[in-house]
Amino acid sequence: MPVKKKRKSSGSDDAGLRKCKITSFCRPATPGRLINSEDHFSSKKCLSWFYEYAGPDEVVGPEGMEKFCEDIGVEPENIVMLVLAWKLEAPNMGFFTKEEWLKGMTSLQCDCNERLQEKLDYLRSQLNDAAVFKNIYRYAFDFARDKDQRSLDMDTAKSMLALLLGRTWPLFPVFHQFLEQSRYKVMNKDQWYNILEFSRTVQADLSNYDEDGAWPVMLDEFVEWHKVRSAL
Amino acid sequence: MERCWQDHCRQTIMIRSIFLFLDRTYVLQNSLLPSICDFCGHSYRDTGLELFRTHIISDRAVQTRTVDGILEQIERERNGEAIDRSLLRNLLSMLSDLQVYKDSFEQKFLMDTNRLYAAEGQRLMQEREVPEYLHHVARRLEEENDRVITYLDQSTQKPLITTVEKQLLGEHLTAILQKGLDSLLDENRVTELALLYQLFSKVKGGLSVLLQHWKEYIKNFGGTIVGSPEKDKDMVQELLDFKDKIDHIIQTCFQKNESFLNAMKESFENFVNKRPNKPAELIAKYVDSKLRAGNKEATDEELERILDKIMIIFRFIHGKDVFEAFYKKDLAKRLLVGKSASVDAEKSMLSKLKHECGAAFTSKLEGMFKDMELSKDVMIQFKQYMQNQSDPGNIELTVNILTMGYWPSYTPMEVHLPSEMVKLQEVFKTFYLGKHSGRKLQWQPTLGHAVLKAEFKEGKKELQVSLFQTLVLLMFNEGEEFTMQEIRSATGIEDGELRRTLQSLACGKARVLNKIPRGKDVEDGDRFCFNADFKHKLFRIKINQIQMKETVEEQVSTTERVFQDRQYQIDAAIVRVMKMRKTLSHTLLVSELYNQLKFPVKPGDLKKRIESLIDRDYMERDKESPNQYHYVA
Repeated sequence: MPVKKKRKSSGSDDAGLRKCKITSFCRPATPGRLINSEDHFSSKKCLSWFYEYAGPDEVVGPEGMEKFCEDIGVEPENIVMLVLAWKLEAPNMGFFTKEEWLKGMTSLQCDCNERLQEKLDYLRSQLNDAAVFKNIYRYAFDFARDKDQRSLDMDTAKSMLALLLGRTWPLFPVFHQFLEQSRYKVMNKDQWYNILEFSRTVQADLSNYDEDGAWPVMLDEFVEWHKVRSAL
Repeated sequence: MERCWQDHCRQTIMIRSIFLFLDRTYVLQNSLLPSICDFCGHSYRDTGLELFRTHIISDRAVQTRTVDGILEQIERERNGEAIDRSLLRNLLSMLSDLQVYKDSFEQKFLMDTNRLYAAEGQRLMQEREVPEYLHHVARRLEEENDRVITYLDQSTQKPLITTVEKQLLGEHLTAILQKGLDSLLDENRVTELALLYQLFSKVKGGLSVLLQHWKEYIKNFGGTIVGSPEKDKDMVQELLDFKDKIDHIIQTCFQKNESFLNAMKESFENFVNKRPNKPAELIAKYVDSKLRAGNKEATDEELERILDKIMIIFRFIHGKDVFEAFYKKDLAKRLLVGKSASVDAEKSMLSKLKHECGAAFTSKLEGMFKDMELSKDVMIQFKQYMQNQSDPGNIELTVNILTMGYWPSYTPMEVHLPSEMVKLQEVFKTFYLGKHSGRKLQWQPTLGHAVLKAEFKEGKKELQVSLFQTLVLLMFNEGEEFTMQEIRSATGIEDGELRRTLQSLACGKARVLNKIPRGKDVEDGDRFCFNADFKHKLFRIKINQIQMKETVEEQVSTTERVFQDRQYQIDAAIVRVMKMRKTLSHTLLVSELYNQLKFPVKPGDLKKRIESLIDRDYMERDKESPNQYHYVA
């Protein structure tokens, strides 16, 4: 299962990242601090930083992105990349345009890889704020969506859900199984939005689920399916 | 012992009778001479009574004996023996004159009665069938009433009857109903039912229990009529019969009790809608069978009455759109094939429907009738037009112009028509479009029918056939024998349709074609040739009008269309509500929808439509509370 792998890798990646930070960052920490405190953010530097990765069309494309990730020591599938994309307000997965880059990095006050690396923890911490997380979650739908489709195809939806809710929602493995066996081919925005609500408000034993509520039919079916299964 | 008591009793009674007689005479005298001896008489009588009371009745033994004696006599009578009633009357009136009736007799008597009937009720409920039991109860009540009239004091009537009713009925209400009501109703035993109602209405709470069981019975019985698919063919007839029977019972047995009537309606509505859609469909078909020509069993008045009855059943149906769809389809057939029994009956049915469901429900059906009338006018004009044409041709053409939208939608089918027909179609097209420019004419070969002249060895015949049958038969003007493939490519008729057509011509009752090899079904390689030896006693022969019969696909597609329409209606209703309210919670929206929609819907279906509208940006969920919707302009 791709998702499982992804989850595992992002978990181990996190650990690796932290280690990496310690090894490669502890030493230049003092000079880093110095740079930070003395030199202010330079948009010129930021622009040239952008061109390190952007192609001739002034866009960071898939290849540039890969290199960028490598340079800041983060795997592309890591959730922090999603948070970064959200900060940059990038509409398309795997692409950063010049405007997005300059605007977003300015707001983060980053003009080089090192400064960004320092910000990664801050970006990660954003996920713990419920309101911000909701925004990121909602942003993820449009971000991951194929732009000529209204809905998310199911495989992408499953991976994105694993990324966003895999660690926090106890019912996620069950829900994932439900999606595996269901005949849904795509997930629409309404369903996507409501899954977050569901994961936040409905208890793991489904005891407070209101069947007459406004939950999308997909979730009604999930609850039904799960109840039948656990009754067996 | 018994005789001794009898003797003693007689003696005591004698003495008492004398006293009583004396007493009576005094009383009589008193009333005769009130002015003179008023005071004396009173004192006389009072003294007499006083004396008697203190000396005889107040003697405990005597009193008990007397009362016991009376009670025994009564019990004997209850057991069917004959007793001296006047004796009892005298004794009892004496007791009441002595003002000891209530204390010494009545209490005991009622207790006795209570005990006796409690036992009897228990026993007979076990032993006897319900109808028998009911008659028994009725007889018992009558007896007790008689007893009151002949020798008991009037004041005893109420407690006595209450006791009997309580012991014989009140205790056994549910048992009686559970044991007997169903079979009484099944067997339509009007007298017993009337009795049952009458008896139950006397007991407190009796009618409400009866009402409950009545409802249950109707629901169960109706449920079995509606719920068994294998009996679909007779469902409507059975429903009508059942309704008649129930009506009759309410009329004759239940004294037209309003609450029973309402319970009946409620129960009918309940069970008819237990199985969705099918009853509506079958009612439509039933009406069709009644309105179709060749239905000789009914006169106009009878037909009218049947239609009225059907309307009553129809009233209970929730999903009337299913009825409309099937009714429309059948009406179209009746009108187009000229199979309607009578225009008056059709119109009357239409006005009934209009009355029941409003003008919107029938506007399309009325449009169909209008089309038929307009077509008649058009055809008269067309005939005149043809007479002025240089090349009149030898085929007569009748066209019905159907307004799209009024009629059921027919899938257009391309077939190869003979050139004469095509030419005629062109002529008509020029004629019609010349009168009404800007209209689009589309021919529906599935609905066409024709009369063909054919010459057999036996003589000339006229064949009344469908257009498809015509096309096939006309081929045999050109040749002797064709394979199925040849016929298919020549006529262009769709495969399934062609097989049915060939089957009707070569395997039906009137076989104008011979199939080689013989057999019931049409196979791919079969060949067909003209049957010159065809014989029939009639001159004009109608060859099984296949299009009169409904195919399974037709039934499925009609049902599907209804469901499709319902989805649109749900969508429209949601948008309408949301447009008006702008913001609405899920529960309120759903309840509003249930008010507006006239057919049964599951909440899940509503949700699906809501989600679909959210997906199409007609509305959106509130960002913070998912139970709230906003209208998106």
